[in-house]
Amino acid sequence: MNHENGTTAGPVAEIRDLRVEIDGRAVVDGVSLAALPGRVTALVGASGSGKTTTGLALLGEYPPGARVTGDVRLSADGPAGYIPQHPATVLNPARRVRALLTDIARTQVGHLPPGRRRSAARERVLRALAEAQLPDAAPLLRRYPHQLSGGQQQRVVLAQALLLGARVIVADEPTTGQDALTKSRIVDQLAAVAARGIAVVLLSHDPDVVRALADEVIVMRSGRVVESGPAPDAWRAVQAGRTREPLVDQPPFPQADGSTGTVRPVLRIRDLTARHHDGARGTTVVLRAPRLNLHPGESLAVVGRSGSGKTTLARCLAGLHRDQDGRILLDGTPLPPSLRNRGRAHLAAVQYVFQDARAAFDEHRPVLHQVARTAVRLRGTDADTATREALTTLASLGLPEDLVRRHPGRCSGGELQRAALARALLARPRVLICDEITSGLDPITRRGILDLLTSLVRDRGGLSLVLITHDLDTAARADRIAVLDGGELVEHGPAERVLTTPQHPFTVSLVEAAARLTARTGT
Amino acid sequence: MSGLRSFVARRLLLGVAQTAAVVLLVFALTEMLPGDAAVALAGDQPDPARIEAIREALRLDRPAVERLADWAAGLPHGDFGTSLASGRPVARYIADGFGPTLLLASLTVALLVPLGFGLGVLAARHEGRLLDRLVSSVTLAVYAVPEFALGVLLVTVLALRLGWLPPTAVGYGTDLLGHPAALVLPVLVLLARPVCSLVRLVRAGMIDALASPYVAQARRYGVSGARVRYTHALPNALAPAAQQLARTIDWLLCGVIVVEALYVIPGLGTVLLNAVAERDVPVVQGLAVVFGVLTVVLNLAADLVARRLAPRSGVAA
Repeated sequence: MNHENGTTAGPVAEIRDLRVEIDGRAVVDGVSLAALPGRVTALVGASGSGKTTTGLALLGEYPPGARVTGDVRLSADGPAGYIPQHPATVLNPARRVRALLTDIARTQVGHLPPGRRRSAARERVLRALAEAQLPDAAPLLRRYPHQLSGGQQQRVVLAQALLLGARVIVADEPTTGQDALTKSRIVDQLAAVAARGIAVVLLSHDPDVVRALADEVIVMRSGRVVESGPAPDAWRAVQAGRTREPLVDQPPFPQADGSTGTVRPVLRIRDLTARHHDGARGTTVVLRAPRLNLHPGESLAVVGRSGSGKTTLARCLAGLHRDQDGRILLDGTPLPPSLRNRGRAHLAAVQYVFQDARAAFDEHRPVLHQVARTAVRLRGTDADTATREALTTLASLGLPEDLVRRHPGRCSGGELQRAALARALLARPRVLICDEITSGLDPITRRGILDLLTSLVRDRGGLSLVLITHDLDTAARADRIAVLDGGELVEHGPAERVLTTPQHPFTVSLVEAAARLTARTGT
Repeated sequence: MSGLRSFVARRLLLGVAQTAAVVLLVFALTEMLPGDAAVALAGDQPDPARIEAIREALRLDRPAVERLADWAAGLPHGDFGTSLASGRPVARYIADGFGPTLLLASLTVALLVPLGFGLGVLAARHEGRLLDRLVSSVTLAVYAVPEFALGVLLVTVLALRLGWLPPTAVGYGTDLLGHPAALVLPVLVLLARPVCSLVRLVRAGMIDALASPYVAQARRYGVSGARVRYTHALPNALAPAAQQLARTIDWLLCGVIVVEALYVIPGLGTVLLNAVAERDVPVVQGLAVVFGVLTVVLNLAADLVARRLAPRSGVAA
């Protein structure tokens, strides 16, 4: 998004020679950055490269106990906006979505007569939400954050920054956890934000998005800037480096044995309908899946945009969504809708790995104990056997013993996601549900996890995989793909068929959006 | 069907069962006590023939199950039975005792809520600093003092030595509101321990909430300090405190026997104490029903409040 007049104005935010030290170790060392109005400055690097620390410095925030030297200046009045990687964390779980938005708006309507403040504030909130691509958001305002999809949560957080009138917006991995269509929309969105004359500082490890958006690129590794400059030049330098993920030649998951017609499905879904309570206003149907089969040794990718019901489908299978009708049959026996009514064998048979691995572990107990516990709880093995088994499984997933004896706080996101997989495998499941398990990770770690899933399906005979994903590249590795749109199962079939000759208009648009995003970045 | 409504219905049904169990247990326990109402009424002339006569007059000679069934049959009509000791209706006893108890409980809660939440938030704001350490250690120390000891101490110092306040409510009957000075000491004793546990719970919840990313976001975006504390952080710290508050109210309404006895306040605790001493089983049972229902309703209310304050917990199946 190059704007000819963009360079004439001075920077609205500037960092000079920033050094952040924690316990004598420099996490950011000698970083300089200037955010110009209407321009997108991208900080690129793998997780741990110091880009988030740099980004937060613009907000005047540093990790606890940090020693900071250097200069951070915001020339514009008013605070900087912030969109964190997990937008849910900055949304108050006990308050409705409107709470913070209204509080921000309230400070802006003080000049009006008291009687008109409330409606003026509401108007501003709705306008900011519309600008963040949440039109007609009035019903949304009454919901709690957990009742929004991940994409909606992110747009609400963007709306907060827009409402604030921030001159600089720091976006931390904004495309993480988004499907191709939304990703493409976020690119347009951030471009539109920049076009308003707002300086955007983009922290990302998504090369496509950086290339589509960035005017300036700063590549970081281990806290230092290794490359910086106007986007095209910097990118040429990066091409040779390691920040670009090889997106091509991903090996597919192994095919299921035999034709799917002859083997009995391990999981059958019949006329599944799931509902969602919307306060006192009754219920909304959020998912309808009339018929879906999963065969032993098969991998099924469930794709769709955020809010399409992918996760609800997974939660229905796992017994986490109680309000469902229809039948889910495991080896021919119906599974109760709620996991509270499921026996140990049923609980073990369907295992769930969540997106946020860090939140899925208790931070006060070593990883190993928590992994081994599965075998004790779900299979009734004694503690010693369980620990031995856990160590073997963890080692086979590439996690050495000294690492897993640590507490989760001292493991990386990728390591914890492997541990979460090991924990699920210890139940000896028939069906493993992976809900966006790679979307919070940087490209290299993500690649590792996907390769791991490939080998799991290959080596553990009969393990079936349900892969919830927004990423068509990931979905392409599966045997079959089911496409959800607005809670409806619009298409399902063999992966290759769905991706090359999509039947439903929505699938067509999804495939095209992914292609467009790739084309735009000139791959 | 709404999930909330079925939840409330399930809990109420369970509550009825729990109350019935409490009544059965209380009945069984009073049966097991040596002696009965006849022995108690016979007083200092324990003549076997006289006791037998009283027993017959009170129809205590019938089997226990029959007596229980008789009494239970009256419950649906709101008939709690009649006292064995005086022949007055049990409902009368409860109504008389409820006034002073409710008055003490309301006064205590009215002071407890602002004090508990205010001090808790204050300590959390100054986490680790002098004020927090002061509040934390004082609350821990006061919490460690049982109410009978604190009660005696306060009577000794404030009433007997200094003579500032009347030591007990003897002679005031149920008209306690007319003698507010007599209420100061009991309310202080009732307040002491609940305030401490509430302060500590609110403090812990607030420290977590104040360190959370959503509070950081609200601060970052220029929401004023007090607003952040009370409307963004506090709702997240309230859920455990609400549960504790419900337990406290339950305790205040159902069992402040020690404090009522110490300050001679004719509340429900005193009624219970006397009834047990006189083996007045219908009165004890009537109180058991009232206490059971109160406990069930208060805990249900606390769960509903917690559900509202932590809406996510309703999601997991």
